[in-house]
Amino acid sequence: MNRAVPFRAVLRSEWTKLWSVRSTWWCAAVYLLVVGASGWLAAAGTDSAPRADVAVQTALSGFGVGQLLLLVLGVLVVTGEFASGLALVTLTAVPRRSRVLVAKTVVVLVWSLLFSALLAVSCALAARTLTAVPGGVPPGDPDVLRTLGLQVGAAGLVGVLGVALGAVLRSTAGAVGIGAILVLVAPPVLALAGSDWAARMSRSLPALRVGEDAFLAAATSWPVGIAVVAAWSVGVWVLGAVLLERRDV
Amino acid sequence: MITLAGLTKRYGARVAVDDLTVTIHPGRVTGFLGPNGSGKTTTMRCILGLARPTSGTATVLGRPYRELAQPMRRVGALIDPGARHPGRTAYRHLLALAQSNRLPAARVDEVIELVGLESVADERVRGFSLGMGQRLGIAAALLGDPDVLLLDEPVNGLDPEGIRWVRELLRGLADEGRTVLVSSHLMSEMEDTADHLVVLGRGRLLADVPMDELLGAHSAVRVRTPQGPLLADALRRAGSAHVELEIDGALRVEGLSLTEVGDVAFLADVRLHELSRVTASLEAAYLALTDEDVEYRAGAR
Repeated sequence: MNRAVPFRAVLRSEWTKLWSVRSTWWCAAVYLLVVGASGWLAAAGTDSAPRADVAVQTALSGFGVGQLLLLVLGVLVVTGEFASGLALVTLTAVPRRSRVLVAKTVVVLVWSLLFSALLAVSCALAARTLTAVPGGVPPGDPDVLRTLGLQVGAAGLVGVLGVALGAVLRSTAGAVGIGAILVLVAPPVLALAGSDWAARMSRSLPALRVGEDAFLAAATSWPVGIAVVAAWSVGVWVLGAVLLERRDV
Repeated sequence: MITLAGLTKRYGARVAVDDLTVTIHPGRVTGFLGPNGSGKTTTMRCILGLARPTSGTATVLGRPYRELAQPMRRVGALIDPGARHPGRTAYRHLLALAQSNRLPAARVDEVIELVGLESVADERVRGFSLGMGQRLGIAAALLGDPDVLLLDEPVNGLDPEGIRWVRELLRGLADEGRTVLVSSHLMSEMEDTADHLVVLGRGRLLADVPMDELLGAHSAVRVRTPQGPLLADALRRAGSAHVELEIDGALRVEGLSLTEVGDVAFLADVRLHELSRVTASLEAAYLALTDEDVEYRAGAR
């Protein structure tokens, strides 16, 4: 018997699939446009900030809505296959299904991190250029770096959540809809409801992150917020992997 | 070699495949026939590990499909010609598939040429016709130069030239010693392509026979003579199982070969105006088989 196909091969295949469809590039282009433009506008509208990380935090505000594009991308990478029936071919070529899901997750994660890092740097640059801060915005400032790092990491997790939801639901509309409710709609609505349990619910949902804060949701410290988002992404992903292995295609 | 042992697949209360035990051997084209909804596609999905059997097993080359180390080099499959992302070009679709099993990219160009899609290789597959989709699906199945081929309705949507091409392709692959399982509802196509038939009806095995045998079982000799009763007597004495007078006055003789009928007529000193072999079409043989199934089912209730 010949040696088994290495995981690297599956990864390469999924990479080719990612860049060879237009929807990927549309998501990337809109993501760059929304977050980039919002960042520069927010920075231009903020004359001064007390600290460098506050100025950067303001410039990152476009990530709030922008990260939805990563959710959509993650979902499409999985549901696009089920919608067209391509999943039949993919899972015949790679019958160890978890490998396919891991490979898809890795390429979406890398893609998300790459573009988010690019945008984070651009936003920091906007804050540095347009917002007056005592002492300026030094690129090596640890607070600034932490804010940017948290932003990029959280964006990566949103992409993973998209892949995971796609694997669980297999329907583009369903996964994007539920994903948007989880990350963008429910957390602010619950935060506005005012009651104690609603605020707790809001904090336990994977709200989109902007820098160190949750976007429009009940406030949490960043370690808690990131942990909640990570727990959701990983949890739904594991569910998706189990369902993918067990269900018929 | 594909081995099915007691393969059963239920969807809720509906039984799609019912205790199917059959072996598909290499070196010949096996036609997989059955009316719509008889479980052909479900069986193929079970073989490929895409659907989990309710009970029983399906193995390819002695292993469950999902345990094959290099699936595309062992098995090539065409299940659904629409199984492709509409926004991807044909070349990149095949490239991604090839990469997933570490097949050389040069192989992609080879199969594109083999199926005749060179001129549209760099177009998005959205605009592909059913026939072009079939060609793309066949290209994907052939990428790994596999030992076993499973093709579900590969000639659906192909033009006559395409149908002939598929027939010759399958014949060539079987002659190279590969296992070829091809489903179709086009009986005439099967008649020209398959060496062996596996017939399903309502998920159950109706027949697992060589093509010749199935057709032979339903063939007869047609003989026309002005001395009908004389010849009929002679034929019955010679051991023909069944002699029947047809509407136009000819005799339909079952159980004797063409030569034997001619010899009997000569010995009986009977003049013949026509002596011909009536081959049952596969369609007739197939309808006879599936009819029996329907009757059996109706009677069983």
